[in-house]
Amino acid sequence: MGNPLDIGRIAFIVLSICTASLLAGCFGSKTYPNMLDKNLHVHTATDSGSWFSRVHAAVDIHRVGEDCALDYEGTVQLADPKIDIGIPPLRWNYLVFVFGSSSFFANRSGTITYETLLKARPNYHYEVAVRYKDDMYHVGIRETLPNQSTGREIEPLELSACRSSSGRK
Amino acid sequence: MNRYHVFIMFLSVLALSGCVSHPQTAEEFRKAVPAAFSAKVETFEVNRPFRQVARTFQKMGPNCLAKTIKTTSQTNMSHQVIVTTYKPTVVVTGKKAELHVQQHHEQGVLNVSKEPDGGYYILVADAQPITQTKTRIDLYRPSMGNGVLIQAVKNWATGENIGCPDLTK
Repeated sequence: MGNPLDIGRIAFIVLSICTASLLAGCFGSKTYPNMLDKNLHVHTATDSGSWFSRVHAAVDIHRVGEDCALDYEGTVQLADPKIDIGIPPLRWNYLVFVFGSSSFFANRSGTITYETLLKARPNYHYEVAVRYKDDMYHVGIRETLPNQSTGREIEPLELSACRSSSGRK
Repeated sequence: MNRYHVFIMFLSVLALSGCVSHPQTAEEFRKAVPAAFSAKVETFEVNRPFRQVARTFQKMGPNCLAKTIKTTSQTNMSHQVIVTTYKPTVVVTGKKAELHVQQHHEQGVLNVSKEPDGGYYILVADAQPITQTKTRIDLYRPSMGNGVLIQAVKNWATGENIGCPDLTK
């Protein structure tokens, strides 16, 4: 039987490697190909409110199958104030906006998400406001026609809405 | 959530339970809070019609609080993962809007008393009309911890800076 201190050190090293891998996006996270016509325009503003903590935002894009099963297609890091993304129209997509926060001194991290189903209409554009400030976050999606500033607010739609609609078929 | 929050949660549970039992319903929670060590009742008025406050509770409660949160704390001697599920319930009648928030720890925290279905009650907000344009808010809430959640519910009542709380804080 090994020395408990050695086992503790090994466990700490393994956990550190796992954490580093997670942060590096090596545990199942992949970059979204983003090859389609850009119809999702994401405007991001994050502020952790402290020099000693950090907040980052990203969006995971999933294809929603006929049985409402999710097929993860990739992640877009929302590192720039404006990022254009192309999502397939005429099919359900499941968007998961992820806010990850970490505190340097407290060695603490956590993530919180905002999810919604979205079926993009052809030729329509979707302006997405992603904000994080004072420990509050907001995601708003507005559907507009090209060259029009007005549009309609898209309310979040839970995945259960897909399941309930497919269950009625 | 760090060890401080866990400690505060533990104290809250003890204080609310009187070391015997924890409120099993929102009504029991309302009755227990005034005498509790780490909880208090806060009453204020907002310059907003009751219907608007009720609609905001109905919209923001489920969107922002029906979440499962994972937080990780790490030092060179320990690694702690806490998984918490929040359950919001909104009840609206002609003369009252209620927001109940429950918290259930899936992992990382021991329960010291019987937990109600959906988790321990951590906050109850009651909104009642005073006039056509003013609404009274009674907030039954912890006096320590959960500051972001409390601030978010106040914002929903006042209609200012409406967003979702980062429940990892």
